[in-house]
Amino acid sequence: MPRIFINGQPIDAEPQHTVMEAARANGVVIPYFCWHPQLSIAGNCRICAIQIEDRSWVEIACNMPVSEGLRVLTDSDQVKAYRKSIMQLMTLNHPVDCGICDKAGECTLQDYHYLYNGSPSLSRDVKVRSTKFHPLSERIVLDNERCILCSRCVRFTREISKSNALGIIQRGDASLVRAAEDRPLDADPYSDNVIDICPVGALLSRSFLYKSRVWYLQPTPSICPGCARGCTVNIWHRKAEWKLNALDPAKNVRIERVTPLENPSVNGPWICNKGRDLVQIFERPRAEHAMQKGGLVDLEAAIRSARRLIDEAAHPVALVSNWGSNEELAAFRQALGARFTTLVKQDWAVQPGERIEDDLLIRADKNPNTLAARALFPIADDGGALDGATDLVLVWGEGFDFERVPRGAVIIVLNAYVQPENGHADVFIPVSIQTERRGHYTNFQGTVSAFEPCFPKKPSIADAEALFAALAIPEVEPA
Amino acid sequence: MSSTKLLMTFPVSATSHTLVEYRERGGYATLEKVLRQMTPTQVNDEITASGIQGRGGAAFPMGRKWGVIHLNDGQPHYLCANADEGEPGTFKDRWILENAPHLLVESMVIAAYALQVRNAFVYMRGEFDLPYRRLAASVDEAYEAGYLGERILGTDVSCDLVIYRGAGSYVCGEASALLTSIEGRKPYPRNRPPRLTVRGLYQRPTVVNNVETLANIVGIVANGAQAFRAVGTAKNPGTRLISISGHICRPGVYEIEVGYPWSKFIYEDCGGVRGGRQLKAVIPGGISTKVLTAAEIEPLHLDNQEVEAAGSSLGSGGMIVIAEGTCMVRLLQVMLRFYHHESCGQCTPCREGMGWLHRIIDRVVAGDGRPEDIERLYQISAWNDGTTICGMGDAAGYATSGILNKFRDEFEYYIDNKRSRLHGNLECLASS
Amino acid sequence: MKDLVAEFDAIRARFPAGFDSSLVVPFLRRIQEDRGYVADSDIDALVDYLCVPRIQIEEVLSYYTQFRRKPIGRWHVQACRNVSCSLLGADRIVDHLTQRLRIRPGETTGDGRFTLSTVECLASCGTAPVVMINETCHECVTPQKLDALLEALT
Repeated sequence: MPRIFINGQPIDAEPQHTVMEAARANGVVIPYFCWHPQLSIAGNCRICAIQIEDRSWVEIACNMPVSEGLRVLTDSDQVKAYRKSIMQLMTLNHPVDCGICDKAGECTLQDYHYLYNGSPSLSRDVKVRSTKFHPLSERIVLDNERCILCSRCVRFTREISKSNALGIIQRGDASLVRAAEDRPLDADPYSDNVIDICPVGALLSRSFLYKSRVWYLQPTPSICPGCARGCTVNIWHRKAEWKLNALDPAKNVRIERVTPLENPSVNGPWICNKGRDLVQIFERPRAEHAMQKGGLVDLEAAIRSARRLIDEAAHPVALVSNWGSNEELAAFRQALGARFTTLVKQDWAVQPGERIEDDLLIRADKNPNTLAARALFPIADDGGALDGATDLVLVWGEGFDFERVPRGAVIIVLNAYVQPENGHADVFIPVSIQTERRGHYTNFQGTVSAFEPCFPKKPSIADAEALFAALAIPEVEPA
Repeated sequence: MSSTKLLMTFPVSATSHTLVEYRERGGYATLEKVLRQMTPTQVNDEITASGIQGRGGAAFPMGRKWGVIHLNDGQPHYLCANADEGEPGTFKDRWILENAPHLLVESMVIAAYALQVRNAFVYMRGEFDLPYRRLAASVDEAYEAGYLGERILGTDVSCDLVIYRGAGSYVCGEASALLTSIEGRKPYPRNRPPRLTVRGLYQRPTVVNNVETLANIVGIVANGAQAFRAVGTAKNPGTRLISISGHICRPGVYEIEVGYPWSKFIYEDCGGVRGGRQLKAVIPGGISTKVLTAAEIEPLHLDNQEVEAAGSSLGSGGMIVIAEGTCMVRLLQVMLRFYHHESCGQCTPCREGMGWLHRIIDRVVAGDGRPEDIERLYQISAWNDGTTICGMGDAAGYATSGILNKFRDEFEYYIDNKRSRLHGNLECLASS
Repeated sequence: MKDLVAEFDAIRARFPAGFDSSLVVPFLRRIQEDRGYVADSDIDALVDYLCVPRIQIEEVLSYYTQFRRKPIGRWHVQACRNVSCSLLGADRIVDHLTQRLRIRPGETTGDGRFTLSTVECLASCGTAPVVMINETCHECVTPQKLDALLEALT
């Protein structure tokens, strides 16, 4: 463990670390644009430059190996002056777009301008103009004037997603980030991570473009249900105190964007594009009212009917959802596990065109809680015909082929989303979704992660956890 | 002219570059001696003892560079000759490639033996036509004669040599960018550490040396390090090839002993300033070295110690002579246009700085200069000094601050009067 | 690129194993020698042959001054404008070429014969001013010499 000194303070560093890594591990802040803990060292922005004591020049910290007795200064006058000069050079041709740039409020260039005493430009010459609104892919728009050519996006596609989709063409101040001409960025399921790691507003999400200023939004920790990896995410939605006074109340309860929630044991700082598109899962039309054979009833009535049907059944079979949370699944077993023959259903299968599995994040099982469900209910649903003696089928969640129900059996459906089968069920009860409650999922490696509620649930919708307990109460006929 | 020649030792003719004539001059006898009688360590020691400094511009001692290579470390080593010759004003490696290509080949095989290199490369700028054809023909001749390939001269030493042609980029003269170019990728220079002698071509230990530096190897090994040290100065032994151009009567490539008097060289050997004009300034070693005035060079010798003490450098040996009447503002404009064009764009200070320098000088030349422009040029130069990934940022800064230091009055005049005091002259056609 | 494959196999054999990426630059040069420029189909073929990412080839093509993705005139007239050539009259030479060919640097004559470019130092400063036409370096050029040269080129 080499002992180094940062601003006079002794630090025991890891032998393979750079000064940048040693500083970060010990709470010393050195600014950086191009450096990233998960990517190779580029060393092109130069703002991390620090001073070795007794030397009259500065050197970049991100590529400086630690060595026994090394003494560095990260805040000397010379270092400060150098940082100011790099900010001056970096903003030389940077457009003053803050007023219209989505990155405002979470932009490293803005932050460093304040932190490191940036001054107005010393230049009296016109700025270099370049492409704005360049469609880098269907999902990502690029503004080359804002780009500081840190190459993080390029390195990501070469080292992490391995799509080799991006590069920098031409040279000098005419350099341009571009996707290869056979458009591989569209086919890269991890493409949107470059939006997060871009330190400025050069790479932006087209689906989020101009939707909202980030300071009106709050991030709620959640879990992407798209596969068994269970990447932790932040779901962004409007802060209560910044609600829009719009006629449509839905504008205040919608998902504005999804970003990774860094998690060293599951997904690191990345998620795949499916996780970015959770709107396509969670904002499908919702079932909001209980029904019996398609006729609207209130929730209490539906619950009583369901109880009676369950009591009367001789051979009830349940297909539980592997999108149920740990708590909901436990509640099912507790309340109804003894009563039902329980099979674990595969709610979602691989969609056409979707990547099945890779060695980065994506798993073939497109459901968030299979491991927990199978631990509680060992029998997996094989998709075949149900036992002919079955006289009641309780279907919880999606992905069930109702042709499999034996003729004459009673059907109870618990589901969140609109589907025609809801109306054909003997009893249908709408249930809440992940964003409306808190809970936990267990990923394929057994790691348990938590999700928090983002939005309130409508009163006519049940919470599955409480519902199962309610269904287990024997129905007492009114006297 | 000093009589001691180590490289330009024969009269150039239409056939003096051929293998036949090279052998008549004793060519490849040294290679034979090395392979049969010396160990790699002995060759290394001789090179180190000679004290020869790199002749590409950085003057790094060749023995010290070679010393980082660990013999018998079980990994491939590579050797690359830097024949990119992009530094404006420099054309002396061209002389070697056109007229003494076998000297380079023999030197490289000896170096490959000393460094345990199986595959050697000559990286040659893409614009070189005759140098390429001559070297390629020589490489073919050498293979035919058994000086390259498997089992050279019947020994168990093998070496292959490939000429890798560039495609137009000044930055490829920088050693790490040169290797990235050979890797077939866009030639961005690399940060150090690691040094190229630790991780170079395809991350293997690699030595990159200038053509002229390498070409001295045959002589050093043939005659011994002490004979080499007997020429030149203690700190900078041997000779230098100087390519002289600009407002000089007899431009060309000359070989001088290090320490040769500068004025003698300009006025006697090279015939003095064209058109009978007075000497105004000299750029000593490529435009990336700081300009010196006529008065400053007058007492100096062509020795890097002296030139450095005077605030400049012999650099790549590309000497440019400038006559009275030349507008230094327009001259700087030509240089800054070059640096702007050649910046690879990787690091912030150079990428943004070169464009800024160029835009300022263009404005000044167009008659739209401002008083603060001079300070700004200095400031941008300082921001590029020692803080960029490669030396190009520094180079542009030296060119700029060098000219500003010596000819500030021309810039002030231009800014105040919106025109050149010397009519924007670069060519100086008429006599003064 | 198909008809060059045999030649490419031979060149590849001269490089050490594992150097396939290195072959990008010499192969692009060879392709351009034949076609006059590098076509999109050439890039696709090279990607298949060498198994390098397409973006690597696109970067290399866009970075080096000698590579072109569009055809130019039969004769590429490249006039050096760097320091020594400027000191020996490069401005006059470029002006002369501009007037003689009636095109500006960067343009091609209507009959497709000549493209005019200004270039940086060609490392022949002792024989300035220097003009390169295709592969050949012409030294100590004067307007008269250039006129005679251009006359002879069809």
